[in-house]
Amino acid sequence: MKAGSETTFRHRAGAHRTRAGNSSLTLPSASRTFAILRKELLETLRDRRTGVVTLVSAILAGPILLLLIFNLIASQAERARDLALPIVGAEYAPAIVAFFERAQVRVSAAPADYEAGIRRGDLDVVLVIDERFAADIAQGKPGLVRLVFDRSRDRARPAIDQAEALLRAYNRTWGEQRLALRGVTSTVAYPLRVESADLATPQQSGALVLFLVAYYGLFASVMGGMAVALDTTAGERERQSLEPLLATPARPVEIVVGKWLAVCAFDALVVALTLAGFYLTLAYAPLPAVGVPFLFGGREFGRFLLVLLPLMLLLPAILLYVGSRARAYKEAQANVSVLLFVVSLIPVVQLFLQRREPGWLMFVPVSAQYSLLNTALRGEALALSQWLLSWTTPALLVVIALVAVARRLGRESILSGR
Amino acid sequence: MIEVDALRKSYGGRQAVHAVRGVTFAAPDGEITGLLGPNGAGKTTLLRMIATLVAPDAGSARVDGIDVTTGRQQVRRRIGVLSDARGLYPRLTARENVRYFGRLHGLRGDALDARIDRLFATLGATPIAERRAAALSQGERMKVAIARALVHDPQTLLLDEPTNGLDILSVRTLREHLHTLRGEGKCLLFSSHVLQEVAALCDRIVVLAQGRVVAVGTQPELVARAGAGNLEDALIALIGSPEGLAA
Repeated sequence: MKAGSETTFRHRAGAHRTRAGNSSLTLPSASRTFAILRKELLETLRDRRTGVVTLVSAILAGPILLLLIFNLIASQAERARDLALPIVGAEYAPAIVAFFERAQVRVSAAPADYEAGIRRGDLDVVLVIDERFAADIAQGKPGLVRLVFDRSRDRARPAIDQAEALLRAYNRTWGEQRLALRGVTSTVAYPLRVESADLATPQQSGALVLFLVAYYGLFASVMGGMAVALDTTAGERERQSLEPLLATPARPVEIVVGKWLAVCAFDALVVALTLAGFYLTLAYAPLPAVGVPFLFGGREFGRFLLVLLPLMLLLPAILLYVGSRARAYKEAQANVSVLLFVVSLIPVVQLFLQRREPGWLMFVPVSAQYSLLNTALRGEALALSQWLLSWTTPALLVVIALVAVARRLGRESILSGR
Repeated sequence: MIEVDALRKSYGGRQAVHAVRGVTFAAPDGEITGLLGPNGAGKTTLLRMIATLVAPDAGSARVDGIDVTTGRQQVRRRIGVLSDARGLYPRLTARENVRYFGRLHGLRGDALDARIDRLFATLGATPIAERRAAALSQGERMKVAIARALVHDPQTLLLDEPTNGLDILSVRTLREHLHTLRGEGKCLLFSSHVLQEVAALCDRIVVLAQGRVVAVGTQPELVARAGAGNLEDALIALIGSPEGLAA
């Protein structure tokens, strides 16, 4: 080294050890790792467009979704409350029409093309009374009434249920009156008395909302780190800044850990903002009162972050691995969509299975977190043992992924286009 | 001081590309050594092996007496690398780009900033210090990349095609700066496929073709050896064909 003026600046302790050390024998340097972390964070913050889009969509996800869902629930409840029932052939059974009117149902004459109206979604449900209704009844035969609807239409379902329930009630009342005329009590015909006791706690009733909050928490932990992770791996390679970086004393493991921590930090920020969006909306927004006493308060917010923590460390590591395998940002994006697909599909599969969850589920990343999120949302306490179990696979995979990325960086082929 | 001894490297399996096949030369301190050869002669691979980025198949390379395979970290502290692609971080400013590498070399705080100020001053890059790399011209990027390669005051500087994409004025600035470094007793190894560059800059020329050293010497020595009238004719005679050499 040239002696003189340049020797005045400070070097890291041990930077000038004279014995040639094999790189694999010395410990990773915390200060270099920190320098890499710092630079990655700075670079990420400078990327205004990506940053703003990611953060804004994270914050807005909660409010927008909740508003849509609450309005849907509210409109369904409204439809059930004041049922409008167009009737074909009202003149054949005036007693039924009178019964519906007494039950506050808005009865009207159905248009001629009522079937098309139902298909279009203009009408929810139509009652058709058979023209031989009165004659059949008089002959002691059952009178025919027909409910026409399209059950695949979610919006119409409350109206359909309501119309069915009213018809059942009318049927039963009429039957009871006939029995009473013959001096028979109604228990002869209806020996069962069915009472329903719904054990769902107030929190459990908003199942759809629960699912979406959990789903968005998971989704945010993938999306949050994606842009940064791909930019720092595939992007770095594409911009050809990797070669000068690898020629510095920074070792692959230091580079990888530094980058990983940076991605984790950003990922955690996006997850926290997404959940904060849900929390603030539920706490302060003037949502329509729909009778879903759904709870997502400060305690749930904290529990969510705790449950998602393993994923906030795991997904950045996997994203870095996917990014390091690609030569360019676009290639990495295509590969990452597979990961996105798997992560977003798991909760949906679990929702539809609706079975008791097996014990080994705690070892499956994403599945375990989804299950724990649901526990937290139902207002139940999180078991520490379950939480610790949910760390097992993520911790293992983080180490494997980071070692794999470090090895890729150490390979000569990373410099070429291969 | 760089000493390269019978260095070999091939890529791929059965149909291997023999990038470097037995190269031997030395680049002493206080001199600018030029690696001249057509595209695909093995210049980049050779520089990458000296920079510890690529492991040699056979032979050895030493920087200041330290072997590039056994003393990787030591070598990395002693070299500055300017790769063909400048590879700056577009969203960071010129200063932040250089500071990042300074930190990776273990430099800190005020001493590091003072060092960057001095480098930018000598390179005439002070006005662009706080500008983002994305907004810089090719010539300005080159200056930043040089400052970055020099931030830890390396004794040895490896430059891979440093004049690529530069205008005449920038090439001139680069040339002057490299001469200054030579005056400070640094060891400079410079690769190029542009004859005029090498002729104007280098004290000693190593001519590479198809992974082998074809000739080593000063400009007059090469001309005399080939029995040609000028360096261009000498090179064509030495390499065997004018292919790949830019005029």
